[in-house]
Order: sequence, then C-alpha cells, then structure tokens
Amino acid sequence: MGSIRWIWGYIRNYKRRFFLGLFMALVVAGLNMVNPWLSGRIIDEVIYGKQENLLLPFLGVMIGITLIRTVVRYSYQLVFETVSQNSIFKIRENLYDRLQHLDFSFYDKTKTGDIMARMTGDMEAVRHFTAWTIYMIFENATILLLAVGFMFYIHPPLALCMLAVAPAIGFFAYRLANTVRPTFSAIREQFSRLNSVVQENISGNRVVKAFAREDYEMEKFSVQNEAFKQRSLDSARVWERFLPVLDSLAGTLTVVMIFAGGIMVINGSLTFGELVTFNSLIWALNNPMRMAGWLINDVQRFIASAEKIEDLLRVEPCIKNLPNSKKIDELKGVVEFNSVGFSYGDEKVLKNISFRAKPGETVGIIGPTGAGKSTLINLLSRFYDTDTGEVRVDGINVKQWEIQKLRSNMATVMQDIFLFSDTIEGNIAYGVPDATVEEVIDAAKKAEAHEFILEMPEQYDTIVGERGVGLSGGQRQRIALARALLKDPSILILDDTTSSVDMETELKIQKTLKSILMEKTCFIIAHRISSVKEADLILVMEDGKIIEQGTHSELLAKKGYYHHVYQNQFGNFENQHSQEGVS
Amino acid sequence: MARNKFDVDEELESPFNPQHFKRMLTYIAPYRNRIIITVILMLVASGANLIGPFLIKQAIDTEIPDGDVSGLTLLAGIYLAALIVTGICMKFRIRIMSEIGQSIIKAIRKDLFENLQKLSFSFYDSRPHGKILVRVVNYVNSLSDLLSNGIINLITDLFSIAVIVGFMLAIDVKLTLYAMAGFPVLAGIIFIIKNAQRRAWQKLSNKQSNLNAYIHESINGIKITQAFVREEENKQIFEEVSDSYRGSWMKAVRIQFLLWPSIENISVLTVSLVYIVGISSIANGGVTVGSLVAFIGYIWMFWAPLANIGNFYNAIINAMAYLERIFETIDEKPEVVSDPNAAELKPIKGKVTFDDVTFAYEEGSPILKNVSIDVKPGETVALVGATGSGKTTIVSLLSRFYNVTDGQIKIDGVDISTVTIPSLRKQMGIMLQDPFIFSGTIMDNIRYGRLDATDEEVIEAAKTVQAHDFISSLKDGYETEVNERGTRLSSGQRQLISFARALLADPKILVLDEATSSIDTETELAMQKGMEHLLEGRTSFIIAHRLSTIQNADKILFIDNGKIIEEGTHTELLARKGPYYKLYRSQSHSLAAG
Repeated sequence: MGSIRWIWGYIRNYKRRFFLGLFMALVVAGLNMVNPWLSGRIIDEVIYGKQENLLLPFLGVMIGITLIRTVVRYSYQLVFETVSQNSIFKIRENLYDRLQHLDFSFYDKTKTGDIMARMTGDMEAVRHFTAWTIYMIFENATILLLAVGFMFYIHPPLALCMLAVAPAIGFFAYRLANTVRPTFSAIREQFSRLNSVVQENISGNRVVKAFAREDYEMEKFSVQNEAFKQRSLDSARVWERFLPVLDSLAGTLTVVMIFAGGIMVINGSLTFGELVTFNSLIWALNNPMRMAGWLINDVQRFIASAEKIEDLLRVEPCIKNLPNSKKIDELKGVVEFNSVGFSYGDEKVLKNISFRAKPGETVGIIGPTGAGKSTLINLLSRFYDTDTGEVRVDGINVKQWEIQKLRSNMATVMQDIFLFSDTIEGNIAYGVPDATVEEVIDAAKKAEAHEFILEMPEQYDTIVGERGVGLSGGQRQRIALARALLKDPSILILDDTTSSVDMETELKIQKTLKSILMEKTCFIIAHRISSVKEADLILVMEDGKIIEQGTHSELLAKKGYYHHVYQNQFGNFENQHSQEGVS
Repeated sequence: MARNKFDVDEELESPFNPQHFKRMLTYIAPYRNRIIITVILMLVASGANLIGPFLIKQAIDTEIPDGDVSGLTLLAGIYLAALIVTGICMKFRIRIMSEIGQSIIKAIRKDLFENLQKLSFSFYDSRPHGKILVRVVNYVNSLSDLLSNGIINLITDLFSIAVIVGFMLAIDVKLTLYAMAGFPVLAGIIFIIKNAQRRAWQKLSNKQSNLNAYIHESINGIKITQAFVREEENKQIFEEVSDSYRGSWMKAVRIQFLLWPSIENISVLTVSLVYIVGISSIANGGVTVGSLVAFIGYIWMFWAPLANIGNFYNAIINAMAYLERIFETIDEKPEVVSDPNAAELKPIKGKVTFDDVTFAYEEGSPILKNVSIDVKPGETVALVGATGSGKTTIVSLLSRFYNVTDGQIKIDGVDISTVTIPSLRKQMGIMLQDPFIFSGTIMDNIRYGRLDATDEEVIEAAKTVQAHDFISSLKDGYETEVNERGTRLSSGQRQLISFARALLADPKILVLDEATSSIDTETELAMQKGMEHLLEGRTSFIIAHRLSTIQNADKILFIDNGKIIEEGTHTELLARKGPYYKLYRSQSHSLAAG
C-alpha cells in the first residue's frame, strides 16, 4: 500500500484529469453493453418481426455508439498516458534532483549501473502501472461490480451460488500476489547487477582490450546474463502455478451457472429467460477474473520497482545546509583548519590538521600517495564533513555556509579529470554557462590550452568524449584548468593539475597563475617540487598528518622529508650538472 | 570521426529493412519444435474453449427443458474436464514460452556484448557510454514479451482467422466477400499508421537514448557538477531532455492508439453492410435467417483476433526501432580485427621495430609522421615531448589499438598486423594513462592482469610497485571493496594498483604511460629500485614528464608534433644541446631557482 500511496502523491497533481479518465472508462464500460443488445433487437424485431424500416435506424445507432465509444476510449487512453507521463516526468525530475545533491559518500559506495537501473527499468515498470494497469483494474472492477449487481437484482440465490467460487479465486490471487513479489524484487536486483557489469565493461573498455580480457569479460557477463534469465524464469514459474488455476476457476463460473441454474429452472425457482440473461452476463464476470492474475502480476512488478525508486529518493545527503546558513555572495578567501580530524569508516585519514591561509597566498601540499592531500581539500569544499575540529572560511565554519555559495567561490581542478561529452567550449564554460566566447578563449589561453585547441578539427566546437578520450592526459588537465580559471574564484584548488603536462608548459602556466592569483587563495597539490616551491606555505603531509610546514627555503633548512624529496628530484640534476662540468 | 553527445540524436545508418524481422526469426528458429508444440497446445485449449458454448446450447435446448438432472451433471462434468485441459495447456504454454523468450533475449544480449568486446576504441570514443549501455540492457529487455507470447498469439490468431473465414465461406460466399470489404480499408489505414508510427518510435528511442546518456554522464561527472555548483543548470538541461522524451512518447502513443478504434469502426461498418445485404437476400430467399445470425456472430468473432494481430503489429513496429539499434550494434565492424589468416604470435623476445609509421585518426591530419624506431629485447625506451605530441599514440599502435595508416610495426621481425590480436596483447603489459578500477576487491583488480595468479603473486606485484603498504593499512587489506569511481583511493593509489596489474601480467613488453604521474617521488624511487631486476629481460616503453623518471633509459626519444626529433641516451642527448637539453635545463632551472 505504501507504493500506491507514494504514486498517488504524484498522480494527485492531475486529479481532475485522472478522474475524468476514470469517468470516461466508466462510460465506455457502459457503452460496451449496447451493441450486443442492439444485435439482439435487430434479430428479434427486424428479421423475425419483419420491421425492416427499423434496420437503418438500428444500424445508425450501432455505428454512432461505436464511434463515440472508440473516440472516448482513445481519449481516455491518452488522458491516462498524459497523467502517467507527467507523473513519471516529475518522479524522474525528483530523482535527478536527489542525485545532484547526494554527497560523495553516497557515490563512493553506489555503482553507476545500479543508479541507471533505477532511472530506466524501474521507471518503466512505474510507467506501465500508471498508464495501463490502473485503468485496467478500474475498468474490470466496474464491469465485474455492474454484472454482480445486475445478477443479484435478477436472482439472488443463483448469484450467490456463482459467487461461491469467489473465495477460492480470492485465495489464489492473494497467494499469487505474495509469492510473485519476491521474484520481482529478485529480477530488479539482478537487473541492477547486469546493468553494472555491462556499464563497467563499457567504461573500462580500454583496460579490457589492453589485457585482452574479452573472454574473461564474456564469462563475467554470461554469469549475470544467465542469472537474469533464471530470475525471470523463477518469476514465470510462479505464474505457471497460479495463472492457469485462476483462469480455470474463472471458467467454473459457467459450470456453476449451467448446473445450479439448470437445476433451479427444473425446480421452477428460476425462469428460462433469467438463465439466458445470466448466460449473456457471464463474460462480465469471467473476463475480469481471468485478468485478475495478470493485473496482480503488474501491480507486484510495480511495487518491486517503486520500492527501489522510493529507497533512492529517501537517501539523505549527510552534507546539507544548516537552517540558518550564511549566504554571503562573495568570500574573501581566508582559510583556517583547526585540529581537523577525518576518517572514512574506521580508517583515520586526517589527524589533527591545523594551518591558516590568507587571500593572495598560495598553499602547496606535498606528500606520499594516500597521505590525505586530496581529502584535505575535499573538506574545504565541504564534500565531506570533518569528524573533529573545524574548517573555517572567512572565519566562519564551513558547515555554517550555504554550500552553494561556498562552492561557487571556489574552483577545483580534480585529480581525476572528467570532461563531459560536449564541445570543448561547453566543457570550459561548465561552471559559467553564460560566459562569452572571448571569456572562454581567454581562460583557455591562461591554461595554455588555446594553441592545441586551435589545432583540433573543429577547434572550440570539437566534441570530446565522456572521460575526455581523444585528448591526451595533459590536454585534459589544461581544459580542466581553463574550466576552473573561467570561474574566477576566490579560492582556487589545483589537485595534481599539471602532473601530465610537460615541464615547459607547466612553467608557462605557473607564470600566468602568479599574475592571476594576486587576490586569491590558492591550493596546489603536487609531486614535483617545482610546482610548489613558490608557495607561501608548503604543507608536507604523511599518513594523515602535517609533518612539516613552511616556505621552500625554511623546509630545505629543516633537512627533513621535504629536503629529501628535493634531493631526489633535484639531486639528480646536480649530479648531472657536475658530470656535465667534467665532460 | 563524428562524435556524438547526449543531446544529438544518433542517425540510423540503415533504412527500414524487413531483413531485421527475418533475422529476428533466426533467433527463434532453434526453438521451432517447442513453438509448434505450444501452438498445438493452444489449439487444444481453444478447442476445449469452443466446447463451452456448445455445452450451454445443449443444456438450454435439451437437458433443462427435459428436467434431465443426470444429463446436466454430465454436461457440467465435461465442462469441468475441458477447463482442466485448458488450464494444463496454459501452464505448459507459460512454461515453454517464458523459457524460449528468455533464452532468445539472453542470446541476443550475448551477441551484442560479444561484439562490443571486439569493437575498437573509436567506437567507444565517439559516443556517450550511456547510449551503448541502454542498447545492451534496456532495448533487449523490451523485446522479451514480443518474442515469447507475441509470436504464439500471432500463430493462434492467424489460425482462428482461417477457421472463422472457413466457416463464413461455408455459410455464404457472397456475404463473405461483403464482410471482407472492410479489409482493404483497414490495410490502407495500417499502412499509413505504420509509417508514421515507425518514425515516431525511432524518434522516441533516440530521445530515450539521449535521456539515458545524460543521466549516465551526470552520475559519472557528479563531482565536477557539485564542485562547480552546476546542479540547477543541469536540472534544467535534464528537464529539457526529459521533456522532449515525454513529448515524443505522447506523439508515438497518439499514433499507436489509433489502430484499435480503426479496427472497431471498420468492423461495425462491415457488420452493418452484411445486415443490409443479408436481410435483402433473405427477402429474395438467398440466405436463411439462421445462417445470417450465425454469420453475423462469426464476423464479430473475426475482428477480435484481427485486432490482436493489429496489436502485435504495433509491438513489432515499436520493437523494430529497438531491433534496428541492436542489430546495428551487432553488425558494427570493429576497425581493428585479426586478419583471417593471422597466426598466433609466438612467445616473443621483445624486439620492437617501427618502420616508417604514419598514423592519422582522421584523414588528412596525421598524428604520427614517418616514425621509425628500433628497440632491442630488454631495452628501456623513454618517450618525452609536449602533451599531445603523439607519445600515447605510439604505444597504442604497438598494442594495435589502432591500425597504422602507413608503414609497419614489427615485433621480433613479425608484422603485428599478421598475428591474432589476443596473442599480441597477452604478451604485453600496459598501464594506461587513465587508471580504471573495476568494482570488486583490490585483489581482483590486480589479478585482472593474470587471472590465474595466486594471492602471493598478486601481493608480490603489489610489493614491487610499493602498493603493499597502503593496501595492508586498509581495514580489509586486499579484500577491500573498491569501485569504478575508486572509492577512497587517491589517484596515485589507483595508479599503483593499475601498475601492479600490468606487472602481474608478466609481459615481455611493458608499456607505462605516465604510470607515476600522481605518485610521489619517494614512492617512485622505491619502486624503481624494486623494478630494476624486474625490467631485466623485458622491453619497456615509458612515457613520463618528470625527467628523473626516465634518465636511466637505454634510449630516449624526443617526440615533437608526431615526429621523433631526437634520439639517444640521456648523456648523449645532453651533449647534443638540442631540444632535450633545453627541456632538461628548464626543469633543473625551475628547481634550482628555488
């Protein structure tokens, strides 16, 4: 019932149309009875009664009624389709909205294929229910009730005899509903798994090919494909058990009618004419009962899918705006970390991090892989919340900022470059959709991307693929950098942004950045000393802690980790220099 | 290579083709016998159904007026028996048909997936991945009912129509002809509807594909979206895409729903015509009252299966839009295929020769121009040069991800285009620029490089690339579940895993495309030490920007704009004072400047 209430919440917005549709369905159910009746009249009055002048009027009514009936039926089918499409549109919109606002921790643990399954297959089941199943149930229930009422009106005892079958039908229908539901849930889940396998195979197609793992992938896929088949067959096995029983039970109505009715006629408690009327009404009992099994199937299928969608709609992001969040349009860029601690599950990723940066300053972060560098800046944009301590921007805890305001003042180039399947221009303008072409080009120039873009077949209009395939790693990084620069943020965060860019280009970029960054706070995560050595503050991280901090020369003087890394990167050159000198 | 994005409809390259339908039948063909059995079952069932009216007539005409209770009981008994027979037939029909339907679906999906494995990079690069996904999963699903119950219903309905027409002809030939007068009209209407409907459904399937592509991309790009506060903008785009899907859905059903009313109205017109003609011929004595009544009864019965066939037809038209897409994908020719006479590449030593290789993704704009390289077995070759100069392309050609436009690539003197692709790639360990992590455990991800590797071997590889420490520090160690978006793993860590994967393959040729760009220098150095003995006896290609990574290479190739402009060892190149020297100076300068 929960799912029904849920979908009603959407259909309710189109209440008028919905009830108009139901009313039209009622009219059609009534009109359905007219033609058989007219046929009888033609035979009785025109053929046997020889009133041939009545033929044309009768036929005229018959044609007219059919026309009206089909037009009304067509209209209400469209009405239900409209209501259904509008409701689905709304559900999809809500889902999408939810997906847009769910935080990283949700995406860290949810497979793309699963979400896709919600948005496609499950949505289809809901659509089918709202567009078809609802009015079919209504139509059949109306016809059934009309017929039962009519039968009771004519002859209650015989009607009661026929209804004796009802409890049995009810029992099996109930059993079917309960037995089939888990099989539908199982199908939905298997559908998700199948979706995920295919999805990953497509996204990872390069790795698959590189390792010539096509056969292995086929195997992996076959397992899920077979399982999907099996789950569908499990479901079919349930139908196989119940649907024939329900169908036959519906058929027994006729048997009851001839047998009980016949005996009643023989007894004289029922007239012959009444029995004939019962006979002509029997389809109105039979058909709905035959349909019952299929409709129950549809309803259960709907519930299985609706529950999955509801679950997704119910997921709450952990990162949310507080009721009185600060909505300041422009922030200055003072960043403070006060004894910040953070863990993913049980794993402590950041321990007691404290530092401070002012506008115009650049903070370099360096340290081994997995030291917590990216996590640190993720806390700054509030992609995750701190466990202990606080992150302040302009003196205000980031938890008190309105997230959108906070993030609109920051621009991040993530380590993992993602470009959208859009033109290069569209990608650069991602954060500022109404930017002019000149602004886009200007940003591209600053990121040293302009030149290679001009060499592309359609320049700024070249469409790049989802992961930016078709571009080299360094080219993607520079487009992502342009995307961030175009935003002109107060805080700029570069997470390993130039790792795939050659040194020469990097130098040029650094020069440009220096002039842009006058008023901004900038965070640079890097592995090359050359990328961070100009920073006003360098944080050296290891194992979730800041183990050294200071400027380049201070850190060198410390002769600690930083010095060691410097030696490794620069020492080589020094040796070479001396060799050069010798040779 | 025209790329497709989410809001661009994909042009279908082939026109409507009845071959598609034929081809679908080939999937059904293996189940011919079982389908025949089911049809027989259905005929038995409809036979049992037909007994019903006869029994009622018998009861009303004879048993009840006669007060024959035992006769009545007998009739009821027969009726019950008929019901049981119908029930049993239905049970087997459901069982057989769902089995067949699901098997066919499975087979089509398998063919689709299998071909996807063969397709080259360019197929994947040129369209949003969401559009591929929807073909394999959703389109195929929507065929399932059509292929199972649809076909059976079609056969039984055709059979019913034949029987009914037979009865009608037996009663009166002239009336039958009148009754058929509606047929050409219906055919005309169907023809008009069909064309409109096919177009409408094709459009719909395009819109659906666009919608899914957009959703798919939104999920994958969510971090960027949130970082750039694009949620509202995206919602608007999504609404537009979703709205145009809704619009084309409504257009499609508006056409589709026309079929049924047409059939009903035509049927009532035909019945009227038969009444008029029939009643006048009763007056002439041509037709008896009884036969006219029976005849009218048959016409009503005639249209029901016809309407069902109409619905089936609807379904076929809709499915065609999907089938076309599916078959198009199954038929998509991979650009890189093994030559039919290709031999297995024998276990190699690792000598690599590029002989005057030219390559262009798009005609006219070559990425590589006349590249010639000679590498001896066991040598380490480093490729340096600006981004976009063609370094990745060179190593991609070596694995034959693309075919060379001109020239030859040889391994141990054998042209790689003459050997089977798997035998080539299986001897290479490639670490791609973009590390991809599959959902599963870290253990599984590394083992992807060599499926039969033991846990110890996996751990050994992880140790070599210095990944062991961080993996063991995770709560579940090697059994930690990770996924595509790399849950909790930093880029560097993903690179390490992907590196371990390449190493585990124990290849003769190792390709490292910026394998260490996100890895700190400390780890990298430790790794290099561990790898020194590992690289022995392997030919390796290393692409890197940090010169410290590559200066021990046996050969350094400086690539600029698709050409090798310098070649030699680190010392040789420095002595030459060319571009490499300049690059080196700028790097050391930038360090020394501090």
